[in-house]
Amino acid sequence: MKDLKLVVQRFDPVKDASPKMVEYAVPKREGMTVLDALLYARDYVDHSIGLRFSCRQASCGSCGMKINGRPRLACYTQVEELGGEKVVAQPMDNFAIIKDLVTDLGSFFDKHKAVTPRLVREDGEEQERPTGEYLMTPGELSKVLQFTYCIKCGLCTSSCPTVATDERYPGPQALTQAYRYSADARDQGGAERIAALDNSHGVWRCHFAGSCSYVCPKGVDPALGIQLLKRHVMTGKPPHAKDEASKVWKAPESGR
Amino acid sequence: MSSEGGGKARNRRGLSGWLNPYHYNFERWAYVFQRVTGIAILAYVIGHLGDTSFFVGGPIGTGPSQSSWTFISGIVENSFGHLILVLVVLVVIFHGTNGLRLIASEMGLILGRPASIEYPYKPRSLRLGQRALIWAAIILAVVGAAWAAMILFGGLA
Ligand code: SF4
Repeated sequence: MKDLKLVVQRFDPVKDASPKMVEYAVPKREGMTVLDALLYARDYVDHSIGLRFSCRQASCGSCGMKINGRPRLACYTQVEELGGEKVVAQPMDNFAIIKDLVTDLGSFFDKHKAVTPRLVREDGEEQERPTGEYLMTPGELSKVLQFTYCIKCGLCTSSCPTVATDERYPGPQALTQAYRYSADARDQGGAERIAALDNSHGVWRCHFAGSCSYVCPKGVDPALGIQLLKRHVMTGKPPHAKDEASKVWKAPESGR
Repeated sequence: MSSEGGGKARNRRGLSGWLNPYHYNFERWAYVFQRVTGIAILAYVIGHLGDTSFFVGGPIGTGPSQSSWTFISGIVENSFGHLILVLVVLVVIFHGTNGLRLIASEMGLILGRPASIEYPYKPRSLRLGQRALIWAAIILAVVGAAWAAMILFGGLA
């Protein structure tokens, strides 16, 4: 089998003036992922290649990078699906470069935190020291389930044309999570969450290019979440009112 | 590549990020055309306001007059002017119809509903309904521009 041409963008901002593309020959094998190829190059050719990974199974969201021009997870992209001859790996766009393929996700996580990505209940005491459960029907669960699959890899944010020009825009991941929690039948914080996004750097900066959904490896479909969120921001009404949220449910005494 | 401080380098794509849809989806191309046509329409409207106000009471006369009309029509009534007007029809129809798709989407219509995921997964928001409407905008724009060309270049009265 012919070797794979693996081209990696090398750049250490502390030492280098500008990035350079370095080519490595990697012996191919069946089922090889881009992460496998990068690890081969790092283990056997050049130990100094900077890259981040963890689970190798598209669950942790660590190995996001630009592969052949599009944001993808290196562990979830097979060399064969890219034609099998040449793979170009670059750091994700729209994130500062720490070294080579490693980008800084700090501001991305900050924007996620800023949308209050957790269930908000008026009765904080009950939430801290629960006396029962907040139940969901299967129908209520299906309204939010796909948005819960987000692994915070940043691919959507890297692909987003608005993020490319507006540093204050929360980005597709954070906006989708704002919708995910507001639409959750157990949540009571929707009104505050959507009010905070109704500004010129908020949800209205999204013009539905759809690239976030196109690149998302987990089927989250952020573009869908954001468009659904807009309707609620427009009317000022969250997906459900506070008093419609699930009540605390206590299991009946078994009597045994 | 500029420095971001803390030993990191900025890597935000900037203007090329929204102008260059290469490697991305069909809807991303529609997004670029929507924005570019929006700017083109704004430029046209400013120019159009300029030439009509020039005709109505600009430096050539104190009000509508034959001489100012002749002056303005001298600018527009030629092949180049007609070509510009055909392009205006093209971009206005595309921008308007594609804009209706976007407004409908922002109201939660034609998107599909969230549901459980089955692989291989195709995002619901990028399915056929959206694509069909983008194609409808393109086809309407081309038909409208062809009709305008036939009128302006003399085929139709
Ligand atoms: S929405 Fe998708 S692409 Fe964006 S961070 Fe979550 S998993 Fe990654």
